[in-house]
Amino acid sequence: MQAYIQGRNVNLTFRPPNRGPVRALQNFDIDIEEGEFLSIVGPSGCGKSTFLNVLLGLIRPDSGDVRMQNKPITGPGTDRAMVFQEFGLLPWRTVQHNVELGLELKGMAAQARHQVSQPLIEMTGLAGFESHYPHELSGGMKQRVGLARALATDPNVLLMDEPFAALDAQTRDLMQVELLRIWQTAKKTVLFVTHQIEEAIYLSDRVMVMTKRPGRAKKIFKIDLPRPRDYEMRVTPEFNELKLLIWNELKDEITV
Amino acid sequence: MLDDAPRQSFAGKHRKVLLGLLAVAIFFAAWQAAFLVFPFNPLFISKPDLIANALVYILVSGDLLRDLAISAVPFLYGFTAAVVIGVPLGIVMGWRERVSYALDPIMTVFYASPLVALAPLVIVFFGVGVSGKAIIIFVLAVFPFIFNAQAGVRAVDPLLINVVRSMGGSEWDLYRKVIAPGVLPYIIAGARIAVGRGLIGILVGEFFAASEGIGYAIARFGDLFALDKMFACIFAIMVIAVVLTEGIRWAERSAFPWRVGQ
Amino acid sequence: MTETRTLPADLSAGELGAPGKSLWHRLEPTILGSASIVILLLLWEVLPRIITMKAGTKLFFTTPSEIVGTLWRLFSTGTIWTPLAVSASGFALGLGLAIVVGLPLGVLIGRSRTLNAMLDPFITAFNATPRLVFLPLVMLWFGLGLWTKVVIVFIGALFPILINTYEGVRNADRTLINVVRSFGASEWDVARLVVVPNAMPYIIAGLRLAIGRAVLGVVVAEFFGSESGLGVMMVQAAGRYQVDVVFSGLIVFAVLSLVLTWMVQLLENRLGRWRPQRAGGE
Repeated sequence: MQAYIQGRNVNLTFRPPNRGPVRALQNFDIDIEEGEFLSIVGPSGCGKSTFLNVLLGLIRPDSGDVRMQNKPITGPGTDRAMVFQEFGLLPWRTVQHNVELGLELKGMAAQARHQVSQPLIEMTGLAGFESHYPHELSGGMKQRVGLARALATDPNVLLMDEPFAALDAQTRDLMQVELLRIWQTAKKTVLFVTHQIEEAIYLSDRVMVMTKRPGRAKKIFKIDLPRPRDYEMRVTPEFNELKLLIWNELKDEITV
Repeated sequence: MLDDAPRQSFAGKHRKVLLGLLAVAIFFAAWQAAFLVFPFNPLFISKPDLIANALVYILVSGDLLRDLAISAVPFLYGFTAAVVIGVPLGIVMGWRERVSYALDPIMTVFYASPLVALAPLVIVFFGVGVSGKAIIIFVLAVFPFIFNAQAGVRAVDPLLINVVRSMGGSEWDLYRKVIAPGVLPYIIAGARIAVGRGLIGILVGEFFAASEGIGYAIARFGDLFALDKMFACIFAIMVIAVVLTEGIRWAERSAFPWRVGQ
Repeated sequence: MTETRTLPADLSAGELGAPGKSLWHRLEPTILGSASIVILLLLWEVLPRIITMKAGTKLFFTTPSEIVGTLWRLFSTGTIWTPLAVSASGFALGLGLAIVVGLPLGVLIGRSRTLNAMLDPFITAFNATPRLVFLPLVMLWFGLGLWTKVVIVFIGALFPILINTYEGVRNADRTLINVVRSFGASEWDVARLVVVPNAMPYIIAGLRLAIGRAVLGVVVAEFFGSESGLGVMMVQAAGRYQVDVVFSGLIVFAVLSLVLTWMVQLLENRLGRWRPQRAGGE
């Protein structure tokens, strides 16, 4: 039985112009089930963001097989959408027009776009800010726009590349709660990349630990905590046990 | 961490420079070769080989250096005056808000008007000697210094000023230790712009007061239809302009690597 | 508990707490600025009356009132319109050509590293060189008519536009390009959605520089290489010691330059509504 998203033996080496080559992924395998929330944690530079970009279709691996619903991934498509760490909002567009970006590129008419974007704007808590420009928004709000934009094209898979890394700790915690709330409603498959073990455990069904560069899947942990998850779970013994287990796997990759 | 890949070749690392040289070589080759196809009219244009000969000639005969030296004198006078007057004025304008309020509009008006339009007047009044040209150069070169010095002072971090003051520094200490080093990159950048404008000043002065100097030489060669020598002089000025401008830019980059573009 | 409203991050406590600036504070710049201009003009006006000058110097002196009178005369008798039209057409043609060539070329150079590397020496050389050095050559080729003007203006105005467009294009945020690509944008979409809007402020800045250079180009071309135009009028007047006419010409050029720059500024403001306003802008 094929997994919903499947990567086998993915290899990727970067060759920047003035430096030596960098092997980002080596024999990387992954299976993602439909509708699950999977987090990847790993040391810096281990290739986790790179794999996200491979799934997105922006980079081609040197070798290996990456499939979604048993079809190989050859380029970007509306079945996948990414939320970026640096938000990536077009600064010259209002919130509404940023959310509608993917719909515009699909060729949707203005009226139809509005019907999709408006409920999303409300769902992500941005009601009233439709005509604001990105520079007028706080970091948390910018990321909400990023989220709304990613959801607008109704993708099957949400790829999230350390989306809360640029936010302060309090906003980050709030956004995690928000994300879970939106995910319960929208029911997408989510691949979430992060540095923070706590964040990974709190959000996910499963957590994968990657080795340091060149990245491979090291170990996968199943998170058996009940849903919906509330903030208090973060201080329970089960949570901390998981945290310790994952940390033990991860720390060998961080020390040289 | 690193793999077995081959080191980058020489060509790879210096790609940009090599491509540039290639383009220049192609340009000159095409220019020379064009006359294998098109008829060559020496009264209208010249060829790289003739120009090279002419260049050698005016260099060896000392004519080029003499003309350049003659042009350089008013340039140095005017440029120095521009620095000596423009920089302090700009610093005061940047430092004292009130002075800036009062003088900014005047400066803007002066800067926006093509002051070079007054050059004929200056020449007519001061004659065709060094002073007329020096004044034109001064007028053109002073504004970049004023504006850049002002901007440099304004850009000084107030935190640093507070630090020095809190350690008991006097006004003079402030100028010497905080403002001067902070302003220096801006002034050098201003010099880069002023050089260009000063060169225009020389040429304007010499085209008018047609008696001596490199600008005069170009005009004279034009009148004589000595296209090869004319091109050679133009080329010489281009080289000087590029050397001065890029030289200052290079100095800026190595002395102040944290400064990005102006 | 969902957060519905957060204060924008850039609203500092200082803004919320500080008292409003007094009226004097806000008017001070304008008052001082206008005062100094008025004082300067007054001094200039009064100087020849209080100081006796040598006859030679007096010949060269003019006063604001004389200049105004001459300006009025030139405009009301219509003497100025023909030369002005000649200058203006040279200016417009040269600037227009510079835009038409500089903008697309700047985009091309910005997108293509190879092209950039190959054209860089030429751009650097021509940008650093005072275009006046080409005037005798251009005169030899194009004579004393309109085209000499146009060429000189073109050379002067081309480079700010070219270089600024190139900078703006090169500056396009890689992240944004990736973002837009991830939503399925073609190369054309990428240019339309990211590269061009991002380059706009740079292009406008280049346009402003180009206008200044274009005016200089007209003046300088007309001084030496023309039969007609406002600059020619000024040079002839200088030879006849009609200093007031020279200044009148200067003022007309200056006003032209200021008006155009102001219009570009308006354009910039309209196009730049999405930018964060800098406090105490220039």
